[in-house]
Amino acid sequence: MNTRDLVLIALFAAIVVVLGLIPPITLGFIPVPITAQSMGVMLAGCIIGAKRGALAFLLFVLLVAIGLPVLSGGRGGLAVLAGPSGGFILGWAVAAYVTGIIAERFIHEGQPESHQFGGFFLASVVGGIVVLYGIGVPWLSAVTGTPLLAAATGSLAFIPGDLLKAAIATLAARAVYAGYPLLPVRA
Amino acid sequence: MLTSLYVEGNSWFHRLPVRAKLIALLLLSLSLFTTQSLYLLAPAFLLAGWLYFSLGLTLRQALARVGFVFFTILVLAAVNFFLLPLPEVAALVLRLMALVFFAAAVTATTTISAFMDEITVLLKPLERVGLLNAADVSLALGLVLRFVPDIFARYEAIREAHRARGLPIRPLTIIGPLIILTLKDADTIAAAIDARGFRRQ
Repeated sequence: MNTRDLVLIALFAAIVVVLGLIPPITLGFIPVPITAQSMGVMLAGCIIGAKRGALAFLLFVLLVAIGLPVLSGGRGGLAVLAGPSGGFILGWAVAAYVTGIIAERFIHEGQPESHQFGGFFLASVVGGIVVLYGIGVPWLSAVTGTPLLAAATGSLAFIPGDLLKAAIATLAARAVYAGYPLLPVRA
Repeated sequence: MLTSLYVEGNSWFHRLPVRAKLIALLLLSLSLFTTQSLYLLAPAFLLAGWLYFSLGLTLRQALARVGFVFFTILVLAAVNFFLLPLPEVAALVLRLMALVFFAAAVTATTTISAFMDEITVLLKPLERVGLLNAADVSLALGLVLRFVPDIFARYEAIREAHRARGLPIRPLTIIGPLIILTLKDADTIAAAIDARGFRRQ
């Protein structure tokens, strides 16, 4: 890994920290406020690619584990990882990796803009929602004893908000891709 | 901006080596998940709670740190209440809360540098296999801590620019410029690191 990749990974982890400091957005039709930080996984995969995106999130989880309050709302520390949603936090790196793999596969220069939007959206949904819930929900079910089906049904309430996040991440990723493409130069 | 969750103090738990605390946390989580007995889980919960509250945090601070996690645990317990027998729900709640208390106690009594030393030791095997360089991990961590205030200042500048033009402050119009402006610095920072020979390559 060259120094530039190392710096990109660190800067992206720092961006995710800052996204946690931005006040969450509340929307009328979704009960849970949307934190900008939870878009980080989709953004990381779509913008710096699979390997660097996953490493940026491993670094971010390391910050959480060593007791820095970097999660949105000033949370952090081992207690969050020991809690019911620990699986989601540990799943971020995998989710960013899968997002990145799909984005790298589907996004090419000179494609029509609509294909790029479609590719980024697909990557965000599969990596940032399907994979993330695929890790987080069974974990939550195992830790809290809530039957898997009930846990899965309950998490459906978050899906509309997540789809909205994927849409925002798609637009932002495409804007970055147009302005400063990093995805093609893989780590 | 990024103040650690470490709490100044000199309790016996503060003086315990990090490795011992992490191993204790691991053993505790493994052992608590093997038992369903309330006679074991309730004392574990009380002991972990007593440990956590005796570290010198004010009650308010202490509760603020674990409050969110406890809230999630209680919400899930309320769901479980309808699906599982009561003793089982109680066991699940006590077990998780005991773990969260103990984990929060480890976090509150361990400095960032102590954690970093331990992580460097843990990464040694990976370094030997050639998977990564432990020094790179500390460098990356240092870079994050160094650049978070800069990136936050940039976020505020972009927000002010929105205000000045009477635009609504939306994440979509902020995230794009924030990321481009930040990542564009990567080349300069990387050149500065290489020029100083930090990575000895």
